[in-house]
Amino acid sequence: MGMIRLAKLGLLVLTAGVFAATGATDTGRLPADQLEKAVRSDAISIPTQGELFAALGKLEKTNWSGQYRGPMPVTYRNRAQIALNLGGLIADGFIAVEAKDSQQVKNIGSDIIKLAKALGVSERLLGRGNSINEFAQNNEWDTLQEELEATQNEVKSSMQSHADQDLVILVTLGGWIRGTQVVTAAIMQKYDERSAKVLRQPALVRFMQSRINEISPELRQEPLVKGVSEQLNGIEKLVSFPAGKTPTVDEVRKINEAVGKVMTEIESKDLPK
Amino acid sequence: MKRSLAIFLSIFVLEASIALRAETDAEVRTRKDALDIAGAFSNDGFKIRDGHWCGVVKPHDHALVAVNLYAGNQYWFSAAAEEPAKKIAVSVYDETGKQLTTESYNNEEKAAAGFSPANSGQYFVSVDLVEGEGGTFCLVYSYK
Repeated sequence: MGMIRLAKLGLLVLTAGVFAATGATDTGRLPADQLEKAVRSDAISIPTQGELFAALGKLEKTNWSGQYRGPMPVTYRNRAQIALNLGGLIADGFIAVEAKDSQQVKNIGSDIIKLAKALGVSERLLGRGNSINEFAQNNEWDTLQEELEATQNEVKSSMQSHADQDLVILVTLGGWIRGTQVVTAAIMQKYDERSAKVLRQPALVRFMQSRINEISPELRQEPLVKGVSEQLNGIEKLVSFPAGKTPTVDEVRKINEAVGKVMTEIESKDLPK
Repeated sequence: MKRSLAIFLSIFVLEASIALRAETDAEVRTRKDALDIAGAFSNDGFKIRDGHWCGVVKPHDHALVAVNLYAGNQYWFSAAAEEPAKKIAVSVYDETGKQLTTESYNNEEKAAAGFSPANSGQYFVSVDLVEGEGGTFCLVYSYK
């Protein structure tokens, strides 16, 4: 405990001055082969929607409730489609938390549980649904965000333990696509150079694409998954700005259109043949 | 409250991962220690990301993980190791491998690096053994 108190004191003093100085100093360099060998994992290499929305939200006043979409079906039969939509729905949950809209959080929480059950994930998720409702009722927004992250991870862990490992990346991907759709729409509504900088994520898209390439050939050949994967290649190019370059409004619009097209296919009840 | 939640989450993550791979006791302990460090930042508004990376830190070797960060956010990467590791350090590199200036916290087998990226994109976080022999470590991060 003594160490923790010391850490708190030391860290809080440090924090005050930390973030003014962010310039890089060339004090050391790692060679490319070491960077290539770096560990990459879903659990730490892929940021959550909460991180993305936090970056956008602090730069400008975002109209989060303006980013809601209409009620979506929770009766999909295709498991890949359920997984993709589940990810998108969890992103919607983060949006509702940013909007501090307790009723919307409850509605989305209920839909998350329905979709998750359709995949046969853990019964323990029912408890998560109750927690989400309770935290929403009490306006505990920070806790709600943590609960949503935990729910997302629980869904993924449950999939892994049920030999549905291949679906995990689809949940992640669905969340990223929906998150990017919302962020690009918000930036287009009120363009700000600093906000637009959050869209530069080429390595992240490349990593998700590499994970899709690892799933079973059968699932990869499903028309929806194949279509999403192919379009991801184009999206990777759209988010590959040079470091330091800010995307223009037109570039933001192109990303929004690309992810919007994918999202429409993910939501559609008429699967591509 | 935050620390309770962090501990709860660590227990939950432990339970969830048993089905996949039994985590070692050392990993559980070091993750708890890393969460304790990260918990200190919660008072300053940092949220602990529900995810972690455990491994083994070895002499003369970088334990390196890729992360994708957003410009506009502030981050703390917190790590803890266990004997025989005696002292560790956390460093951050950009996508070209250039080491970045960070705020640092070092306390023997516990360390953290604070950083605010100017550009969104891929960064690399390194956990290095400064003193002692190789041992288990765990890394978590928080953001605001």
